[in-house]
Amino acid sequence: MSAAAEHPVPSSVKIAPPPAELERQPLVLHNRSIGWLSDHIAGICEGEAPKWWLPALIISSTMMLMMFGCIGYLISTGVGVWGLNQPVAWAWDITNFVFWIGIGHAGTLISAILFLLRQKWRTSVNRAAEAMTLFAVACAGIFPIIHVGRIWYAVWWLPPIPNNYDIWVNFRSPLLWDVFAVSTYGTVSLLFWYTGLIPDLATMRDRATSKVKKFLYGFFAFGWTGSNRHWSNYEKAYLLLAGLSTPLVLSVHSIVSFDFAVSQVPGWHTTIFPPYFVAGAVFSGFGMVLTLLIPLRTLCKLEDIVTVRHVELMCKVILATGSIVGYAYGMEFFIAWYGGNPYELAAFKNRAFGPYWWSYWWMISCNVISPHLFWFKWCRTNMVFVFIVTIFVNIGMWFERFVIIVTSLHRDYLPSSWGYFRPTWVDVCTFLGSFGLFFTLFLLFMRYLPMIAISEVKGVTPQADPHHPQGGAKHGGNH
Amino acid sequence: MNAHGLMAVFDTPADAMRAAEQVRDAGYSKWDVHTPFPVHGLDAAMGLPNSKVGWFTFLGGVTGYTTGMTMIWWMNAFDYKIVIGGKPMFSPFYSFPVSYELTILFASFGSLIGMFLLNRLPRLHHPLLKNRKFCQGATHDKFILVIETADPKFNDQETRRLLASAGSKHIEMVED
Amino acid sequence: MSDIFPKWTNKLPAMVIVGGMIVGGVVTAGVTYYMTPKYARVGYTPVQPVAFSHAIHADQLGLDCRYCHNGVEKSWYSNVPAASTCMNCHNQVLKDDPKLALVRESAATGKPIPWVQIHKTPDFVYFNHSVHVNRGVSCVHCHGPVNKMDEVRHSKSLGMAFCLECHRDPAAKIRPNDQVFNLDWQAPEGFAQKEGAKLVKDWNVHPGESCSVCHR
Repeated sequence: MSAAAEHPVPSSVKIAPPPAELERQPLVLHNRSIGWLSDHIAGICEGEAPKWWLPALIISSTMMLMMFGCIGYLISTGVGVWGLNQPVAWAWDITNFVFWIGIGHAGTLISAILFLLRQKWRTSVNRAAEAMTLFAVACAGIFPIIHVGRIWYAVWWLPPIPNNYDIWVNFRSPLLWDVFAVSTYGTVSLLFWYTGLIPDLATMRDRATSKVKKFLYGFFAFGWTGSNRHWSNYEKAYLLLAGLSTPLVLSVHSIVSFDFAVSQVPGWHTTIFPPYFVAGAVFSGFGMVLTLLIPLRTLCKLEDIVTVRHVELMCKVILATGSIVGYAYGMEFFIAWYGGNPYELAAFKNRAFGPYWWSYWWMISCNVISPHLFWFKWCRTNMVFVFIVTIFVNIGMWFERFVIIVTSLHRDYLPSSWGYFRPTWVDVCTFLGSFGLFFTLFLLFMRYLPMIAISEVKGVTPQADPHHPQGGAKHGGNH
Repeated sequence: MNAHGLMAVFDTPADAMRAAEQVRDAGYSKWDVHTPFPVHGLDAAMGLPNSKVGWFTFLGGVTGYTTGMTMIWWMNAFDYKIVIGGKPMFSPFYSFPVSYELTILFASFGSLIGMFLLNRLPRLHHPLLKNRKFCQGATHDKFILVIETADPKFNDQETRRLLASAGSKHIEMVED
Repeated sequence: MSDIFPKWTNKLPAMVIVGGMIVGGVVTAGVTYYMTPKYARVGYTPVQPVAFSHAIHADQLGLDCRYCHNGVEKSWYSNVPAASTCMNCHNQVLKDDPKLALVRESAATGKPIPWVQIHKTPDFVYFNHSVHVNRGVSCVHCHGPVNKMDEVRHSKSLGMAFCLECHRDPAAKIRPNDQVFNLDWQAPEGFAQKEGAKLVKDWNVHPGESCSVCHR
């Protein structure tokens, strides 16, 4: 890279080697300067679009249009165009909702929990992960809205605003908790993402050459000047947002699991659901982050910023959460037997050996077996291998929700109403189209906004520390 | 007054920090250091007090929790009573999840509004943002100390001397 | 380099907040006023194919509501009479009047007169006329003083809040069964507290507020 030559480390500076016990692999490789970081990351949005970008956008936006077409067909015709019916009244719609909302958990986890735990490696991946969260929540939000069919009746309690019906919603329903949880999660994730973006938008503004870009980046940067008086409040607000998002991210999927656990359907009515869902969500979220970042780090030449170490650390998170998920699968079965409830046991036997046995074993092989390959360092550091495993993680987690929802419902208490759910082409196209929406939003994001938190990555380089030799601590300091 | 202030550019965070300590000790009040990322320790070097954003967060959180609990009590136990399974009309348990989410939502809004209020942002027009040198550095890889002319201790020559002695290679008067 | 924002843009946040509050307030007020059934339905007076006057028939001539709407006590549905009902009188009265041409034609051919429906509950509301008129709920409560109308107009909102007003406090509106079709009847002072409450008790009126009372 020629950019490295433009920002050389001053030759007068002698770098003292850190003590061996403190030696760690640096977060930014090749000793890049902080100027290189803004040149390189902002450069992704500034130069010409890479050759693959436009075709990718066309494909994904076509898929997105396909989804909107399906939704239009669904709304104009009715939910009968989907394959669901009694007794399987929830099928792909809620499966897709839980799948996407689960994927949306990695972003806030990386940005909030890892921030509180002072895991500095988060800085390289948090922006993309947060954006992914927002887009996943957007995809997730579509399904509960459209699954009611005639949506204008479903929101009867909203307009006109001062309640015209003299009644109120039932706050004992976990479905309503879910509305509050998911919308709070979406809103707070957006605020968190945008707060992180402000200093980088200022960087983009100051680098912009065209008037339109100057105006847009300038407008959304809110006049940020990098003032340290501002940074002081900013950092406090960011820390507090992280502190608030941590209980939030844990509560959201717990509440999503209440949608099932608070009901009395065998297979749903289990107390293990909240932690099991949260672990599954983080597991699938990290899977999706890696699915996106592994190709991107090569395509956008980000290997120095999103290093192999970053990928390896995320693989370890996948291993940990995948083990929790595997444990939960086992514990569910154990409790079904140990709890002595014949209906519960029948539901679980049916899950593994009933008509939907294939989906159960898909789930087990993707979610229980594949993450355990990450015990081996070779598996964690081979990018192609990691990429393939994360694809399996994504598939497995979709099947997990399918298994929970469909296999629990398809055999009712009343054997005469037992059924077998089959998706229609509208189900399939809507789900595939939601990936189109997701990738369209992500492609636009990576093209027009800095994909990596520039100011945060600058802050974790050695030069950023005023006491580091490269930071110029030659005069010493008393702080 | 048609000058905004005196701006001194530094190459490393350590230089800027030392300069900040000197400016702080010289007793200036209307001055600031502009950095591309939050520099650890600069708050102390500038003598800044702890940020007050936390109070806004707290206020937001308390508002959110009370809003949630009051709203649920009013809707489900007062204005439109729904009997569900013969349970009490109101209980803090079933109303907790929603109140909890609202606590977080309002506290987050509180933090952000507090941050913007304390920082007097958004402020799209700023004299510093018209300065080419400032824009090329402050959000990129330079550390820029600005002392405003509105500062009571501001004196063109003396301030310039102070900044030069702190080791700045580029000192410039910024137009308003 | 963001010198493209002139100085006045620093007032933009305040302007946006104030403007947003004004716009939000106006939108809320507008929705509250214009999007409720109170505004959207009340006053609807379509032109009917035959200029039938309830004021002449029910008030001036004193016809009972049930002469024409004869299903109202027995059925969930209050029927609109067939042309043959009209012809009971109009084969004698005004028998050649051109204004009644459509009625005569309908009676002869059996093809119904295309009356324009005014009062309609949505599909998801199960409203039963007979249960109301047999328990002291008068026509006038929901349809207004039809006996005074030359052209029938929608006079009450018939929104859910309107239904609940009575379902939550039936004694305030209930009247003796023999006054149900007397649209001019006024409850005497203190009727609701004493006789009204007694009627509710005697008739075992439990209108119900749960969803499934009306949405089954």
